[in-house]
Amino acid sequence: MRNGLSTFWDGRGFDLLLVGIPLAFLIAISGSALVYNVVMSFQEVGMFTLGSFVRPFAGLKNYAEVLSDPQTWPILGNTAIFVVGSLSGQFIVGFALALFFGLKFPGSTYLRGLFLVSWVMPGLVTGALWSWLLAGDFGVVNFFLRSLGIINENIFWRSDPAFALWSVVIANIWFGTSFNMILLSVGLASIPEDLYEAASLDGANVFQRFFTITLPMMRSTIGALLSLGLIFTLQQFDLFAALTDGGPNNASNVAQYWAWQLSFREYDFARGATVSVMMIIVVIAAALFYVRSTRHEVRG
Amino acid sequence: MTRVRNVLLIAVALILAAIYLFPLYWMYVTALKTSTAMFASPPIFAPRNPQWGIFASVWQERHMAGYLWNSLVIATSAVVLIAILGVGCAYVLARYRSVWVDAGLFLVLMLQVLPASLMVTPIFVGFSQLGLLDYPRLATVLAITAKAMPFFVVLVRATFMSVPMELEEAALVDGNSRVGAFFHIVLPLARNGILVSATLIFMQAFGEFVYSKSLIQEVGLQPASVGLNTFMGPNSVDWNRIMGYASIYVTPILGIFVLLQRKIVSGLTSGALK
Repeated sequence: MRNGLSTFWDGRGFDLLLVGIPLAFLIAISGSALVYNVVMSFQEVGMFTLGSFVRPFAGLKNYAEVLSDPQTWPILGNTAIFVVGSLSGQFIVGFALALFFGLKFPGSTYLRGLFLVSWVMPGLVTGALWSWLLAGDFGVVNFFLRSLGIINENIFWRSDPAFALWSVVIANIWFGTSFNMILLSVGLASIPEDLYEAASLDGANVFQRFFTITLPMMRSTIGALLSLGLIFTLQQFDLFAALTDGGPNNASNVAQYWAWQLSFREYDFARGATVSVMMIIVVIAAALFYVRSTRHEVRG
Repeated sequence: MTRVRNVLLIAVALILAAIYLFPLYWMYVTALKTSTAMFASPPIFAPRNPQWGIFASVWQERHMAGYLWNSLVIATSAVVLIAILGVGCAYVLARYRSVWVDAGLFLVLMLQVLPASLMVTPIFVGFSQLGLLDYPRLATVLAITAKAMPFFVVLVRATFMSVPMELEEAALVDGNSRVGAFFHIVLPLARNGILVSATLIFMQAFGEFVYSKSLIQEVGLQPASVGLNTFMGPNSVDWNRIMGYASIYVTPILGIFVLLQRKIVSGLTSGALK
């Protein structure tokens, strides 16, 4: 064992340095922000106390206020609809596409990969595109729906309270479907081919094979993907900013957008922090589930 | 028989891709339309009189050079910082198995999932108290780095896992120091994976919105995502110009993506699930 400074370029110290600095950075920013969030949710934060760390202790007042606010429950309901709608749409369309592109043919990998552009584009651009596609009078989506005879009158997707939330759900499904498809394709590819062969010899049809082989073999992939999808859906912000701004009259507002509005539109940082803390608890619960589903793989 | 099947499947795949990518086509086509053609009913699917001048005029009128420059500065700084901090972290987390490594990984995964829009309140207040908001782009870079580094670590760690450890051990036996073996043997072997992950992070940072919108008040320092948000406004009808802005903003990203598609897809799948 050598002592002193040389350990930092030729020993254990090297590893500690490599992992210690980034973790210290993460804890300094994300970790302390997390703690500060919780602290602020128990404080009275006004314009005058914004600059000082010592603020009046508010106890559970912020939480009581948020929970008794008439806006809260509709917004939480919207959040649930947004999550369930986006997740199921992304997953079902993504799974169907993954199954289709799993029928190997020339160019299938390349074409499948192209779908991922929806996932790497700036969220604001996706939002702008869908704002125009879903426009009321001149939107091309309304044109298609009218041509197909599904609707008779134009739907004002972004400004009609009955549709505003769904306009964001549609855009979010488009955004996330490709990611679901790619990850499901990986899961599909890892199922051994001979399982299917054995099942066909035993006389299983396509549906039986899907429900007795594909789905059970994909269980951990699907678990990981759904919790990852939940995490991503609760991070969605840009599409709300671009499409509806949470309106009209909160009809399309969700908790993660509302938390931001409370802080940066109404300058009510205490309530913004309170809503944030409540949502972070949900996200962390989903993350624990994700870690559990991928644990054997994470450990390698 | 297989040829017929393949032709049929390729045709269906092309149709599916065309439907899925239609929004992008519609963006470019709308940008090229005149204001009257844009509102034609039924819609015009192939513009007869493409207005190529729109790109230059939107570029000028919306001050896109400044916005895109800020996006580039913010995204590049964030990626450099993330790479410097994240590569070593990923390497150590890939090289060892222990309770501590599991704990570190767990911490990284947990920090990865915190939504930016929920973290921005304490970050804004804390940064303003520390005086960091006087340097808004730096503040944004720090916030983006903290948000995106965990994902980078997860992706790059998967790359390091595939580098055989025997090579590093051989280098150590040959008399290299740990630092020497790391820089001369391990890093070059993992270079591709690191570059792909950095590209992915760059594309995300180039489109970042929440932190930029909240932390940067001065218009001259805002990135293109915030510029697009300002342009759109609540009652905007300038759709051809907005689509022109969006085209200019997104085309470089699409170019990078099409060039590196295969590598990006495989890098992403190895990190997120395996």
